[in-house]
Amino acid sequence: MGVIKDQAYWAHLVEECFRREAGPQAALPAPEQDLIETGALDSMGWVSFLRALESASGINQLGALLTQRTPSLESIFEVIRETQKESTADVFDTGASLAAASTDRAQLPAILISSGVAVGSRTVSSEDIDRAFGMPPGKLRLRAGIESLAYAAENENELMLGARAAQQSLRSVACGAQELDWIIATSETHRGYPSLSAQLHSQLLARETCAALDVGGACLGLLNALTVAQGLIASGHARTILVVTSDVHSRILRPGKVAGEFGGLFGDGASAFLLRAAASSAPPFSYLLGEFFFGCAGQYAGAIKVADSPNGNLDVHFDGEALSRAAITRMEKVLVDVEFRSGIARTSVLGLATHQPNPRLVTLLAKQLGLPTKKFPSVARTFGNLGSSTCGAALDAILQGARDPLTKKPGPIFLASLGPGLLFGGGWLTPA
Amino acid sequence: MTKLLITEITRMGPAFCVIGLQREKEKIRSVRPVTATANSWLHFPYRRGDVLQCDLAPFSGSKPHIEDRVSTQGFQKESAVPEPEVVTFLRKAEMAETLRELFGCALHENRSGGAFAKPPEATRSVCGTVTQNLRLELYGDELRATLVLSSGEVLRDLPVVDRDWRDFLDAALAENRGANRVPRLERFLNSQFHYKVLSCPHHFIRLGLTRPYHELCWLMLDTLIPLPKHEWLEEF
Repeated sequence: MGVIKDQAYWAHLVEECFRREAGPQAALPAPEQDLIETGALDSMGWVSFLRALESASGINQLGALLTQRTPSLESIFEVIRETQKESTADVFDTGASLAAASTDRAQLPAILISSGVAVGSRTVSSEDIDRAFGMPPGKLRLRAGIESLAYAAENENELMLGARAAQQSLRSVACGAQELDWIIATSETHRGYPSLSAQLHSQLLARETCAALDVGGACLGLLNALTVAQGLIASGHARTILVVTSDVHSRILRPGKVAGEFGGLFGDGASAFLLRAAASSAPPFSYLLGEFFFGCAGQYAGAIKVADSPNGNLDVHFDGEALSRAAITRMEKVLVDVEFRSGIARTSVLGLATHQPNPRLVTLLAKQLGLPTKKFPSVARTFGNLGSSTCGAALDAILQGARDPLTKKPGPIFLASLGPGLLFGGGWLTPA
Repeated sequence: MTKLLITEITRMGPAFCVIGLQREKEKIRSVRPVTATANSWLHFPYRRGDVLQCDLAPFSGSKPHIEDRVSTQGFQKESAVPEPEVVTFLRKAEMAETLRELFGCALHENRSGGAFAKPPEATRSVCGTVTQNLRLELYGDELRATLVLSSGEVLRDLPVVDRDWRDFLDAALAENRGANRVPRLERFLNSQFHYKVLSCPHHFIRLGLTRPYHELCWLMLDTLIPLPKHEWLEEF
């Protein structure tokens, strides 16, 4: 993709793929010959030939581009010429929009064109959670500010929630899963194989040549995934990428397995974002990805540790007080850095999509930054800490707000999150 | 006389292949009426859900098309059942959840992912299944389906031979529908289609095997329920 190749290369490739289908001895048909009507290939062979060519050439959607054209080699060459022309145009478009991308790293800017969210369909009150974990009723509400948690129903898991959020995101812009070049998934709870991205690939029916990748980082997972996606688009290796986060804590952090002060904070949910290489015209309400930066503050590594113990239990070390202090300090620092690096005043942002360990800490963070709490969409208060999906659910809420007709002018968005380690990352989005 | 509930009408070149359900004691099974000289019908003026009276010779076809029965007289329409009820009956007939169960044999794929069965191995040529997700796509001017079974296994690039869906696509691309017909149709298939089909409470599909061709039987999407409605054309 994005690499211009000469005519001889394409002629050779088409011939190779045709012979794979029609047999090594088959004569190469005349360019204008209707391959199906003349019996050179049957309809199964024609589709198979196109799939082989698509896979070998990296031209996605080759078959779709041939709709309502004669099934001939000439039509194929015509489509190849058109896609090559588009690749050249992309290079010029990119040059024009680089300045707007506010990043000199990116070759092709990435834009976020749609989003979706799905949370567990069972709503459980914080008092019920208190009881289940053997804590005094009202503890979660008073200490953490959590009113309820979203828990997955019996038939829901990371795949179901992730796929639901992904479908929302795809359908809202009428993007078919066959258009995806990559699916990047992140989850802090999915532990089985096939990996979450592979399962999503099958569930969404992406084409075989769409790659699937899982990235880690726990609550920082979304930002990790976005920066990987941005890199793939920037390098010209992908045009359309789906980023999915999905976490089902309620099956792992159960009463009896972990303490309520920790396990009681988490809910279940998923988010999805569709990213595209920026073309000359961006769809309405899309956002340009700015710069992302990351780091690891190892001095806080001991504040939270989760590991499998030899007896099959979950070994959790959670120093709530230390982690809260670290979270506030570090998130504030990240957001100040975002402001500095982007040159965008924090007061002018439409919203801040940050990790929300619990609602009380969000209020504190807003106060530290001198911002109204309404700039931080309420996620943890009603759904709980959704792990890698907290930041995603907050970002989705801000993006939906940008579409609200009452929003005068969609403003920039700041992102910041943390993960055990203590990993941290930040970035920003600006209206495209 | 046999009572046949028509469940499949598929396009085979200029003709139609027909499958119906027949009750035999407590069992409901698929039967494919064929003529004495051909496997398909050039004229078949009936619809899915029609209950037809017919005379069928009592011998079966060769593997894997064991559902074949020669029709010795014409059809006579007796009644009709609504779409959700057709699905209720289909669920009682041949059903599978995994690729292996579909035709009672291992399925193979060619280099680009098309699925086929080997005729001596397959034990039937039609089967119903539930899908977790399904996508229709116009690919190189051919209508193809990709789907994921409840087992999580994926089938790609199945030719869609369902007469009503093929007619719907033809109507959507008819010249009198104005400009940008292909992108409009693709948009429909990528968005509204999912709402209309996958959220339908009686969503159901039946897969079939082609007649052996070069000793392979290719998989195809015989039936996709709900069937398309003409008024959907007004939406894109």
